[in-house]
Order: sequence, then structure tokens, then C-alpha cells
Amino acid sequence: MSVAETLAAVRPRSSRAVAFLVFAIAIALIAATPFLPNYYIRVIDSLLIYILLGIGLNIVIGYTGLLDLGFVAFYAVGAYSYALLASPQLDLHLPFLLILLVAACLGAITGILLGIPVLRLRGDYLAIVTLGFGEIVRIIINNLDWLTGGPKGIARLDKASILGIQIARPVDFFWLLLVVVLLAGLVAWRLERSILGKAWAAIREDQDAARGIGINTTNAKLAAFATSATIGSIAGAIFGASQRFVSPESFTLQESVLIVLMIVVGGIGNILGIVAGAAILILLPEVLREFAEWRILFLGLLMIFLIIVRPAGIVPRSFGPDKLIRRLIGK
Amino acid sequence: MLGNLIQQTVNALTIGSIYALIALGYTMVYGVLRMINFAHGEMFMLGAYVAFLVLSMLVGDVGMAGAIALTVAFLVAIFLVGFIGVGIERVAYKPLRNSTRLAPMLSSLGVSLSLVTGIQILAGPQPVAFPSFFPVVRYEVMGGTITSMQIGILVAAFVLMFGLYFLVNRSRIGIIVRAVSESRPTAQLLGINVNGAISMVFFVGPLLGAAGGILYASYYGIMSPSMGAVIGLKAFTAAILGGIGSIPGAMLGAFILAFVEVGGTALLPIVTHGVLGTEYRDVLTFAILILVLLVRPAGILGEAVSEESIVYKREF
Amino acid sequence: MTLVFDRLRKEYGQVVAIDDVTASFAPGLIHGVIGPNGAGKSTLINMTAGSYTVSSGSIVLDGKRLDRLKKYQIANSGVARTYQNIRLFDQMTTLENLEVCFYPTDVGGTWKEVLWPPYASSRRDRRREKCMEILRFFDLQGHADAEAGSLPYGRQRMLEIARALVCNPRVLLLDEPAAGLNHHETAELTARLAAQRSPDRITIIVEHDMDLVMALCDNIIVMHHGKLLFQGTPAEVQASTDVQLAYLGTANDIDDIRAAAQDRRAQLGIRTRRRS
Ligand SMILES: Nc1ncnc2c1ncn2[C@@H]1O[C@H](COP(=O)(O)OP(=O)(O)OP(=O)(O)O)[C@@H](O)[C@H]1O
Ligand SMILES: [Mg+2]
Repeated sequence: MSVAETLAAVRPRSSRAVAFLVFAIAIALIAATPFLPNYYIRVIDSLLIYILLGIGLNIVIGYTGLLDLGFVAFYAVGAYSYALLASPQLDLHLPFLLILLVAACLGAITGILLGIPVLRLRGDYLAIVTLGFGEIVRIIINNLDWLTGGPKGIARLDKASILGIQIARPVDFFWLLLVVVLLAGLVAWRLERSILGKAWAAIREDQDAARGIGINTTNAKLAAFATSATIGSIAGAIFGASQRFVSPESFTLQESVLIVLMIVVGGIGNILGIVAGAAILILLPEVLREFAEWRILFLGLLMIFLIIVRPAGIVPRSFGPDKLIRRLIGK
Repeated sequence: MLGNLIQQTVNALTIGSIYALIALGYTMVYGVLRMINFAHGEMFMLGAYVAFLVLSMLVGDVGMAGAIALTVAFLVAIFLVGFIGVGIERVAYKPLRNSTRLAPMLSSLGVSLSLVTGIQILAGPQPVAFPSFFPVVRYEVMGGTITSMQIGILVAAFVLMFGLYFLVNRSRIGIIVRAVSESRPTAQLLGINVNGAISMVFFVGPLLGAAGGILYASYYGIMSPSMGAVIGLKAFTAAILGGIGSIPGAMLGAFILAFVEVGGTALLPIVTHGVLGTEYRDVLTFAILILVLLVRPAGILGEAVSEESIVYKREF
Repeated sequence: MTLVFDRLRKEYGQVVAIDDVTASFAPGLIHGVIGPNGAGKSTLINMTAGSYTVSSGSIVLDGKRLDRLKKYQIANSGVARTYQNIRLFDQMTTLENLEVCFYPTDVGGTWKEVLWPPYASSRRDRRREKCMEILRFFDLQGHADAEAGSLPYGRQRMLEIARALVCNPRVLLLDEPAAGLNHHETAELTARLAAQRSPDRITIIVEHDMDLVMALCDNIIVMHHGKLLFQGTPAEVQASTDVQLAYLGTANDIDDIRAAAQDRRAQLGIRTRRRS
């Protein structure tokens, strides 16, 4: 038996073992979370929110190949939707699910409104215009005191509840976020495999050739933008509800860049990569608490290193969810 | 009124010339590599920090530095940052030359983040007072006040820009750089040293950016690790406004932007009856950017990039 | 059902790339476009496909003006093309390169595809079946799951033609399909192009390979300096002294044209590949 043959014989089983391990760890983590102290549950909640943001942004960056540096604006739209519709600020107290719906719609609308002028342009400008858009949204929030409370933000947001069940403790949000993340991940993954997802990939590879086979690239990109904005906005609404306080500080440019970083480090275009990226981003400062600033330096350098040495990110593409499941069930 | 007008004009020219110095770096890099260098704003910041460091090594107390020390620090800093720029290109961008277009941009984002945090760790995140590089004398001109600092900044910036102009249009190096930005494959086939040209661009761009940073820090008397971000964004806006890839365009865009900003800051509250205050200045900047891109995507002096020119360049 | 160029013109500043060309292309036939380098052959293709704008004149397909449509609308009117320099979706698989061509017809069902898996898989199976058929026609079925960018050059050429054919276009525009192919591959290509002939398809081939053109085309257009120099059957073209003059500057026979074209082909066939 040659070396190659040996390897070929061993490989399927070992990669199946890896797949099994990944699942086992995931299940164990999920099962253990409710028993952790609140502090750790909060960390995991914010991990899940970042995963949600990553799933949303990845549709634009990973699938469609457009660099969006203003993603945090959509996150802010969602958070402020909740803050305004469920707080004493305007004395509105709408139910959580309704606000989630409103936030999703507002996110999609903002995405489309920004996308219409911008997506006709060639790709390079998009990064800078979205970056500018993110800043505009932040500045406006910062200065529209009568509505948004300015730099002080909005406090005393209502407690969320779904169908009479109160969502207030970190562990409640954990379950809520878990469901939302799984749903969003599923939708994103199925979108990628749909005909629209193929068109996104074609645009990423060669926009002119994509037009040449009859793809209305502006519409396809708008769809990507709107979907991503919707997910970002939903993440924002849940974030608002879980913090019960929002302020412009959470929506800085650096936040946008960190989400991009997280996607690239984990594995661009790959949902499991995003989970890995988010885990590094969120858990690293927990581990290296005294070295809070070193974390970003480390991430920045890691990103450069990975782009050059391993452009696919930490998690290889062959570990997409479908492949993982296929390995697990042995086909 | 006239005095105020003169004063505002000089203010705009001062800021515009600093924007122009930075915008040139963006535009040159884009011209040769078709890449947005997100780390360029950090060259601006590094310029100020390196100058400060050199100065404090030359004279213990930077506040008391004399003219010679200041000149030496200025020159050492800009050249040093130039070399840093070349190094960054070698390490972080060069391996990605045949990669997707997104890859070098993401890499530059990583460089930008690393530099900002690196300086934060080394020098602390808080702003630091920066010595003035010019003696401050105030002149009254028809009721407006102009400082010698402003004049110094204008002179320094214009000397550098003319230097660049001659380098690009009158020297052999300039011809090579222009050939490479016209078409890299063709230049390569003609035996032009493409790597040399790219290094040149990554030397001159950061050098000018660093000069801008020193002038800026000495104008406002302060520097901070994050000072590159917003200014970088504005300078980039200026580059797009003027037509990215075009050197005169970058300068023109920078001055237009500066005048819009200064004018906007003065007029915005008056025109809108105080509804929109000066804090909306940056919003105005970006609104203009988006408008220009809508009406004239190539910018004021830029060549239109259409599928036509792209197909053409691919096929010849 | 015909494709008509009416006083078609393309100018780049002072340069006139296409100078009042009037021609019509009948379905069921294979039309060849030949001419020396820079004659304007690619420009014709690019204008028809909507990659270039038209300076004046018109392009009409079945009474419908194509030159006023956007590029993707032209594609959706049944015009498919290949490029002089291959443009595939490099990081997608061979199969996906073809599958994505069904976007215009299938995009309306996207949300149903996302929300209802059985619908998605039936759609996907239908698409894949059509794609596999074309892949088999081009003998690419073995490469179906390979990344398009990793295929050998000759296979990439075939795949690009397959991508143009997968939606059964009414107009097929091929810009130098044989460029960079070896003898064996060119023969293979000639046979396949002959086999794809269908009564209601207009095929237009721009090519420097005289053997291929002479063997395949029913009607040949000779371009020179942006003008339509000559139009006729292969036999008529071979006999024309005008054509020989255009290619070689002197009256010589077709073998010398062949040699000149061969030279030119040797220059192509180099393609830089993008990495991820
Ligand atoms: N985008 C463009 N900008 C400027 N000039 C162009 C452009 N595209 C083509 N041309 C010019 O138009 C003329 C015709 O070019 P075209 O590509 O159609 O030639 P061709 O017949 O396809 O030649 P080849 O056999 O080399 O492919 C040439 O002189 C070329 O330089
Ligand atoms: Mg051609």
C-alpha cells in the first residue's frame, strides 16, 4: 500500500471524526450554557450577536465580493428601532416581535436606499461610500438629541417578551439568539446554494461576464445588500433588547471593521468560519484580559498573515455545513 | 466681512493643502495597483509620531526645539515613513498581486488596524501635545487674521506638490510609474521594472502623507493614534472627487473639499436656521461624495472606467 | 429572423474602429468574420453583445433594436458570447459556471428555493440535467466538479463555449474560439461547432484560423480598417485579391494568409490566472 493510498483510506474516517467532534462540542456547549454564571452567558450572548452580524455581512462580502465597511449602520438602525419603539423616549411600548418585524423592514429599506445609488458604481468605491454612510448614520444619531438622546443614548428600554413569555435574563436571550442565529444561518446557507447565490458568486468572480449571461447585476447586488441589512438590523434590535440601553458608542467604524476582520479570519464565505472568527474575536479578550489592546493588534496581524498564507481563513471551505453533515452521516 | 472671507479662504487653503498631500498617496496607489490602501491614513499619523520621536531624541524637551532640530526631524520623519511604506507594501500587498481585488484591500485594513493599535500600545491612546513647527506670528490682513503657521504650511505643501509634479512629469522614474499605471502587463513586457515603480509609489505616497501629518499636528498642536482615520477618509473622498488615479485631480478635489467644509461650517447653521449645526460638516462631505459619484462616477478629472476600457485593456 | 447591422459605427475619439458597416446574418448559417489585427472584428462582437456602446447606426434582431438595451437585456434576448480572452467564473465549478446561466429564468423562484427544499432540489436537478447534457457534448463531464480556473487552457475555451450554448441562444457570438488551441483541439472544436448548428441559430465566428473558417462557415465577412471589405462564400473569399491585399499587402494566395494567421495565434494562449 502506497502512502497516498493509506492516506486516502484514513482520511474519510478521520474527517468524519472531526465532524463528529465539532458537533459534539457544539451540543455540549449549548447544553452547558444555561448552567454557567450569568457573566459567561452574557459573553456567549454577545458571541451569538457577532455571529449573527457575521452571517449578515458575509452575504455581501463573502458571497457577492463587495466590501461593505458601513455594516454597523444597519445594526444601529435595528437597535434604535427597538430603543424608540419600546421605551419612555417617545412613550411607545410596542411588542417585541412587532418591533423585530419593523426593524427587519427598516433594515431592508435602508439597505436598498443606500444600495440604489451606490451599487451601480464599480466595486472599489463601495467600500468608501459605505464607510461614509456608516459615519453619517453615527453622526446623525449623535446629534439628533431630541430623538435619539444624542451621545447619552436611550436608557430604560422595555423588557422584551414573546407571546407573554418574558425575555429578560441572559439565558433567555441565549435561547432566543440561538434560534435566530440558526434560522439566519440556514437562510444564508440556502440562499448561497440557490440560483441567486450562484449569481452572487458569478458577480464576485467577474461582473461583466455575469452581465453577459443575462444577470441584472444591480438587482442581484441589491438583493444581497437588502438581505444582509435585514439580518444586521435584526441583530441590532435583539442587542438593544438585551442591553436595554443603546448609545452611539456601540456603532463606531471600528465595529464595522472588526466584523469584517472576524469574517476574514474565520473563513470568508463560510458560515462555520464565521463562528470560529467570532469566537476568536469575543473570547480572546476574555482570556487575555490584561492585554485588551493587544487583541486588536493580534487580530490585525493575524488577518494580514491569513490573507497572504491562507486566504480561505482558519476554517477550510470543505467544512461548510452541508459537507459537515454529509460527513457525519457517512456519505 | 471681507476680513472674514480672507481668513476663511486661507483656512480652507491650509486644510486643503494638507488633504491634498494625503490624497496624492491614495490616488497614486490606486493608479498603479487599482487598490484602495486603507492603511494610508496611518502613514499620516505615523508621520507625526515619528517626527515627535526624532525630535525628542534630538532635543530633550520638544517644546524648546530650534529651527535646525525641527527641520531635521521633519525630513528624517518623512523619509522614514516613506521607507516604512515600501516595507509594508513588500510584506502585506506584494504577495497578493495576482489575487482577488478584495485581498489587498482587506490586507491594508489589517495593516491599518495593527498600526493604530501598535501606536496606542507604544505611545498610549491619549492625544499628545505636538510642538509647533513654525514660529507663530499673527498678521492682520484687511481685518482677517492669518498666522505664519498657515503660510508655512502652504509653502511646505506646495513645495512638496511641485516636487511630485516634476518627479511624475519630468523624470524617468515618473515616466516609468505612469507606464505601469497605464498597463502593468504591457509595462512588464517592455522590460520596465514594475516592482521598482510600485516601490517608488509606496515611498512617495507615505512620504507626502507623513508630511501632511506633521503639518496637521503642528497646526492643531495635537496628535493621537486615531488621527489618521477621519482625515484619511476625507483625503480619500477628495481623491475620488477629483477623479481617482489622477494627480491633479487629487489636488483639485482636496481644495474643493476644504472649501466646501469651511464654507459649510460657516454657512450650514445660517442657511438652515440652526437646524443643522456645524457637527453636520462631515455629513455634508459624504453627501457631496455620493452626489458626485452619482452624477460623474469618474470624478472631476478622472478617466471614465467602463466595461469598454476594461475589455480593451484585457485584450491588448 | 435575422440579425442586421445598419450603418453601424464605432469611434474612439479620432479613431474609427467600425466604419459604417451594414450586414445581415441569416439563421441556420455559420458566419465567419475575418480580417487582420485591429480590423474591428472584436469591436463588432462587443457592440452586438452590449459590452461596447454604439456610436451610430443600429443593431436589430428580429425587428428589435439591441443597441438601446443594457448588456444583460441583450443576453436575455438570446444573444450569447465568448470573449477573446477567456472570462470564466474561475472559482466556481465547471457545472456551476453553466448552472448560473439559468438565473434569468429561475431567479423568480429564489425564495421558494430557500424556504422549500424539495422545490429547490427539483429545480436544481432540472438545471443540472441540461448542464450535464452540454458538458457531455463538449466532453467535459469528467470535470463537472473541478474549479473552472483550474482546468487546462483548452478545456477552459470549451467551457466558455458551453456556457454560451447552455441556454440555447438565438445568436451565438464567438471571438477567436480557436486561439491558443492545438491542432487536435481545433479539430475537435470544428466538429462541435458544426454539430451545434441549428436552423434557428445565428452563429458568428471571429477567427484567424483559416482552416476552421473555411471548413465551417457558410458565409464570410472580411473586415479591414473597420470597413466591410468583402462578403461571400469561402470559395469566393479565397479567390479574392482584395482579401489577400488586406492581409499581406501583396496579392498572394490563401496559404500565406494562413501562415500570417498562424503567427498571430502563437501569441495568444497565454492566460494569467487569478488565485483566491
Ligand atoms: N476600448 C477601446 N478604446 C480605444 N480603442 C479601441 C478600443 N477597443 C478597440 N479599439 C481600437 O479599435 C480597433 C479595432 O479593434 P478590435 O479589437 O475590434 O480589433 P480586432 O479585429 O478584434 O483585432 P484582433 O484580431 O487583434 O483581435 C483597433 O484599432 C483598436 O485599437
Ligand atoms: Mg479581437
